Amino acid sequence: MYLKELSELSGISGDEGEVRDFIKSHMASYADEMWVDNVGNLLILKKGRESDKKVLIAAHMDEVGMMVVRINEDGTLGVAPVGGLDMRVCLGKRVRIGDVHGVIGYKAIHLQKKMEDKFPARRDVKVFCGFKNKDEAAENVKLGDYVYFTTTFEEKGEYFSGKAFDDRGGCSILMDLLSSGEPAYDTIFAFLVQEETGLRGSSVVVEQVKPDVAIVVETTTAGDVPELEEYRWATHLGDGPAVTFAHRGYVVDPRVFQTIVETAEKAGIRYQYKRRTAGGTDAFRFARSAYGVPAGVVSIPCRYIHSPVSLMRKDDYHETLKLMQLLVMKGEVKKAWRN
Amino acid sequence: MEKLRDLVKKFTEVAGPSGREEEIREAILRSLDGYVDGYRVDKVGNLIVWKNGRENKKILFDAHMDEIGVVVTHVDEVFLRVEPIGGMSPRYLLGTGIRFLVDPPVYGVVGVEGESIEEYNKNLKELSFDKIYVDVCASSKEELKERIKIGTFGVYDSRFRESAGRYVSKAMDDRIGCAVLVQFMRELVDPRYTVYCVFSMQEETGLVGASVAAYDLQPDVAIAVDVTASVDTPKANKRMAMKLDAGPAIKVMDRASISDRGVVDKLIEVAERHGIPHQMEVLILGGTNAAAYQRTRSGIPSATVSIPTRYVHSPHEVVSENDVLNTVKLLKHYVEEAFD
Repeated sequence: MYLKELSELSGISGDEGEVRDFIKSHMASYADEMWVDNVGNLLILKKGRESDKKVLIAAHMDEVGMMVVRINEDGTLGVAPVGGLDMRVCLGKRVRIGDVHGVIGYKAIHLQKKMEDKFPARRDVKVFCGFKNKDEAAENVKLGDYVYFTTTFEEKGEYFSGKAFDDRGGCSILMDLLSSGEPAYDTIFAFLVQEETGLRGSSVVVEQVKPDVAIVVETTTAGDVPELEEYRWATHLGDGPAVTFAHRGYVVDPRVFQTIVETAEKAGIRYQYKRRTAGGTDAFRFARSAYGVPAGVVSIPCRYIHSPVSLMRKDDYHETLKLMQLLVMKGEVKKAWRN
Repeated sequence: MEKLRDLVKKFTEVAGPSGREEEIREAILRSLDGYVDGYRVDKVGNLIVWKNGRENKKILFDAHMDEIGVVVTHVDEVFLRVEPIGGMSPRYLLGTGIRFLVDPPVYGVVGVEGESIEEYNKNLKELSFDKIYVDVCASSKEELKERIKIGTFGVYDSRFRESAGRYVSKAMDDRIGCAVLVQFMRELVDPRYTVYCVFSMQEETGLVGASVAAYDLQPDVAIAVDVTASVDTPKANKRMAMKLDAGPAIKVMDRASISDRGVVDKLIEVAERHGIPHQMEVLILGGTNAAAYQRTRSGIPSATVSIPTRYVHSPHEVVSENDVLNTVKLLKHYVEEAFD
């Protein structure tokens, strides 16, 4: 499992180089072919026991974060989110911009009006790095620099916690699969860029590899929190991999969906359905680019994604891996293709 | 030959929400038996049929097979929660009922939450899928679970009606387009150019099927046949002009695409030459598969020919039989003169 290392690497959308290099260096010895395409996706071909069909397995390397968009007169930095980031959960957090450390500050409670419950507007969110003025800040930080959370990976009891589990969890599953032997069919392991900014990397993959079926391995929102009634939970921690039947822009191909569900049932793997249809994944792009490919989604449920720290259950990770092993390495995925 | 009315009835009564197009695909394919030179079902589930032409150009017509619907996301004691597939509105669901895609069929009625009159009225006013539930009229959880699961799809439970030159049904969007293309293919004899008809999947979710059909077929021109809003009703939107019985609507623009000028001009020219009633269309909302055809590969000149429809996305979409017949006529003449 590579989740700890992957989680602590820096890879906001458009800045996936560090993650890509890590995966490359650890996976090179397992690859039959490996290339980085024009937009930065890392694509690895692993020959299978059979070569008449091709399987595409994908996870995205990028995480949500922020970017420096302004250097203020007082030496503080204005930032904008990259990907779907709720700025309210960022207040008070430590951040890192290259070697520069900072904190996303806001006026102390003593200085706020009584009962003030509004969160600051995005334009009022500032990063304090201790620069005494604009000039000093400009010597150390440039517009367009990425702003990272500094959360370290923790392992405690039944849980992992850390940043960027969405979708380093998926990347880690792919690496585990790739290093675990020979897949049933020729398989492309795709580590994608810029999913969080609009499913961008995935839009050029089908054209390059012409797969017969695609499965996206994601980390998805749990929603099993006290503020929400149970019928609004998207997934629940501890109930195993979440299988998607429909999400934004795309209803998962019924054969792929059924294949995933039946594989889990036959093997006695605990699984759950992803029970909200909001949010999209790269499956949407795969389905509708080039000649099209039936695509499915398997996700590790995760609490507090798109925030500085998220929480995942170990057994959910391992059950997801087990399900993917059956589909890809054992070849159960074969029930999914059309023609 | 099967009457147009029977074709429309058959197509609109099939339950085929986005992603669950198997049954409608079969129905369309069967109705074209003997009328095409070939067909295939592609990787994502589009049905592509063709008739070979005498000359070396390709014209693509598209109608999408899928309709809007719902999917079950939670099974309560004896109640369900659902979310939309495509542009389904919770308002239309109230009082309509849902037919779930299980065998034998299960029907559901829709209720609104509200623990006080004030809350109920508020929920009605700000209606959302979070505030409604579906009652499938089961007496116990056990009974319910056997019939319906999370991930089960449903569509409006409404029937086809014919009345004084009008067809009324759910899923007229875009089964009326499917019926137009089937009728057109049945009447088309020895076409000048090769004609492809794409019965596309998952238009309502995100133009999925059309995007890959365009890539695959690389036609010289692509025309989507879809519905458009008809605003010839009391106090209807004042910024649009489409109406029933004025013939097929040649789309200039909607929110997703601006039709290729050359294709639009040609359609008008053909309609005028043959005395086919037609109207111009500017739709200030929505879009069609033309948007996908237009920007695939190196770009395909694309347009939309629309059948004016009242109450689009409701369980009772209304079209004019004459408009449907005139649309078929327009397409037939267009095929012969498209590149003159």
